[in-house]
Amino acid sequence: MIQARGLTKTYGSSRGVSDVTFSVGKGEIVGFLGPNGAGKTTTMRLLTGYLYPNDGDAVIEDISILERPKDARKLIGYLPENNPLYEDLTVGEYLDFRARVKGLRGREIKKRIEDVAERCSIADVRKKLIGSCSKGYRQRIGIADALINDPPLLILDEPTQGLDPAQIHHTRELIKSLIAEHTIILSTHILSEMEAICTRALLIHKGRLQFDGTLDSMRAELACQGRVKVTLLCDAEKGAGLLSKIASVEKFEAEPAPPRGAAFSLTPKDSGDIREEIFWKCFDERVPILEMGLEKQSLEEAFLMLTREQALEENS
Amino acid sequence: MNGVLAIIRKELSHYFFAPMAYIVMGSFLLMNGFVFYVILAAVSRAGSAGASPMAIMFGGTFFFWLITIIMIPVITMKLGAEERKQGTIETLLTAPLSDLEIVLGKFSAAFVFYFLCWLLTFVYVLVLRAYGEIDWGPVFSGYLGTLLLGMFFISIGMFTTMISKNQIVAAIFALAILTMLMGSTLFTFIMSGTGREIFAYADLLGVMENFARGVIDTRNLVYLLSGTCLFVALSVKALEAKRWQ
Repeated sequence: MIQARGLTKTYGSSRGVSDVTFSVGKGEIVGFLGPNGAGKTTTMRLLTGYLYPNDGDAVIEDISILERPKDARKLIGYLPENNPLYEDLTVGEYLDFRARVKGLRGREIKKRIEDVAERCSIADVRKKLIGSCSKGYRQRIGIADALINDPPLLILDEPTQGLDPAQIHHTRELIKSLIAEHTIILSTHILSEMEAICTRALLIHKGRLQFDGTLDSMRAELACQGRVKVTLLCDAEKGAGLLSKIASVEKFEAEPAPPRGAAFSLTPKDSGDIREEIFWKCFDERVPILEMGLEKQSLEEAFLMLTREQALEENS
Repeated sequence: MNGVLAIIRKELSHYFFAPMAYIVMGSFLLMNGFVFYVILAAVSRAGSAGASPMAIMFGGTFFFWLITIIMIPVITMKLGAEERKQGTIETLLTAPLSDLEIVLGKFSAAFVFYFLCWLLTFVYVLVLRAYGEIDWGPVFSGYLGTLLLGMFFISIGMFTTMISKNQIVAAIFALAILTMLMGSTLFTFIMSGTGREIFAYADLLGVMENFARGVIDTRNLVYLLSGTCLFVALSVKALEAKRWQ
């Protein structure tokens, strides 16, 4: 469906993205993940032809965005970051304009506007000025625009940014309903959003593609390195003594004391799963485990780990 | 082509759904009405027989130039700058349109607006006709010249709005270029030889004088049209440069 071949873009002295290569197959729903400023938006702008790369190319269904930009852009529905819209047009006028600009004609225009308005639940605001629409509506207007000429590929840059929880839910449901007919690339910096929608993740950091794989493999990679949090029914001293005897525990730290027992946070030695070992050790020592689980990693921590690992690999 | 038409429609609705268009049009008519009245009053005095009011109207007064070089930047200033400021340029540049189509659409919309303003002044011609004979030739060539001059100036305004993010900056920049273009006539007084010839050729006052007299000189046509093409091309390049930034 779409291939990014060594996309590189530099802004003056600061670098934008460098050598981003991946391909997305038909029907996939891929999430771009990365902290703000990592290069997600730049990559998307290169894919849509808004920006031209210093090096590399993006190819959509065998059409190069550099060689035949008009044809390539016809295949893409794009929702830019912050969803810019013309405030002083009505929703209907805006969609009419976008339909015409994207090459629809005559009856088709009216039909498509009705279709997408229905689909994105914006039919009730068609006569309203965009400037007076709520953020949730505006987001759906942007998605309606992306869908208006029924392109095979949708590129959505942070589609749920700045929405309230109900609107986020609504927008996600809308995106999920599009999966059947469209290939979708979306970006987000929220891990749970990826899990809710995407099947594959592209992790971008400091302008480079750091990880490309299914969410399961990503989760596995992240989870195995994760620390274990355990609460034992004993005093802190005994707990510490017990844990220090477990071979695969690299180090452990006492956590603030819970109402009962003592809590610890354990770091495994070889990024393996150490829960089983902890269980048997405690069983042998007759120390009841009140709670045990993998520490949920924040996205930031996950990033730190993945990027640190990358740096180590490069060094060795 | 469809894309160009879509942009023209959108820009015209931007014009007419905002008070700006009516203010510009209203002021234009007010000022021109005043000018027309003064010209009529002057021409109808004894001793000025033979002068055609419309010939004076087209470029014959200081007001014509003042109105034109202020009005055109006001018409064009929003076209590109506002898209940049609102960020809508991103949806525009990722639509299946060429940069030329975008520029031509916006250019044509501004021209249609300018054309409408001048169309309303045709009432003056009808007024004149009610009171006497009219020599139609110079009237039409005068309108033709005014429209061609408008195209040239609009293309300059187009270029400045394409390179700035702020519409006021775009307008001031356009005003500066137009003023210098007008003022370059002064070089004919201080230069000699080829330099003088070039500036004499580029003298817009002279160009308009020809049109107002009913003379359609190919050199004048070529000058105005090639100037328009140059700035349209520069606008396209300015838009393209945005993608390389």
